[in-house]
Amino acid sequence: MIEVGTELPPLTVTLRREDLVRYAGASGDFNPIHWSDRMAAALELPGVIAHGMLTMASAVRVVTDWIDDPADLVEYGVRFTKPVVVPDDDKGASVTFSAKVDKVTEDDRGGLAEIDITAVAGEEKVLGRARAVVRVR
Amino acid sequence: MTIDATMVGRSYAAAESYQVGREKIREFADAIGDSNPAYRGDDAVAPPTFAFVVGSRALEQLLHDEELGLRLDRIVHGAQKFSYTRPIKAGDEIAATATITTVRKAGPVEVIMYETTLTTADGEAIATATSTLSHNRADA
Repeated sequence: MIEVGTELPPLTVTLRREDLVRYAGASGDFNPIHWSDRMAAALELPGVIAHGMLTMASAVRVVTDWIDDPADLVEYGVRFTKPVVVPDDDKGASVTFSAKVDKVTEDDRGGLAEIDITAVAGEEKVLGRARAVVRVR
Repeated sequence: MTIDATMVGRSYAAAESYQVGREKIREFADAIGDSNPAYRGDDAVAPPTFAFVVGSRALEQLLHDEELGLRLDRIVHGAQKFSYTRPIKAGDEIAATATITTVRKAGPVEVIMYETTLTTADGEAIATATSTLSHNRADA
């Protein structure tokens, strides 16, 4: 039984430059702002930044780790509010994701849980309105 | 060149369908650091955000529309949402079509929303992706 207010186990992910390169290769997104300091500076970014889609992919792990089957995810959306700056060092950037059940509803196929996800890097929220809807059995 | 509301409704279909392979799913899951067993093996399903990769073939067509005159290095991804009818699975052959749904302008910044539908060759719906891009045309 899933109840409103249930907190999901949080997850901290560390992103290093090598992770951005690996994600660029796997996703086909080779935008240089994700690997070139020179290009990031030319566009007045604070540094090389993680792919928003990589941050989004990491965030939903809090939900897919929690449900039995990732196929039960029916909706997932985020706003990219702040970039995750990834320094060229061994430490990288850490982002902590947490999530809470905000609403339990039903549709014609059964129960649904609406889950709010929070993503924080340093002191800043890097995602806004991050929300996943999962089918509950 | 600029973008305006008359471009709403323009549709871009990926030139070829996307053949989803289990090793590609595994590679993508590894790249996002996700060891979930659902993403491995013959019956692998793809991690949720893999839908963006499949849809990116259609996005490329949109980015290459010379009349829009967009530059990748001036684009910031503002928001992304997926609605799934079912997960993407190894063995799927997926057609992607991106359609511009909204265009808003604020000075040199153009905010473009587009919707990408992913379907099988038989027309079975898999997912719909809604994306918001900001394109800064300053100094362009």
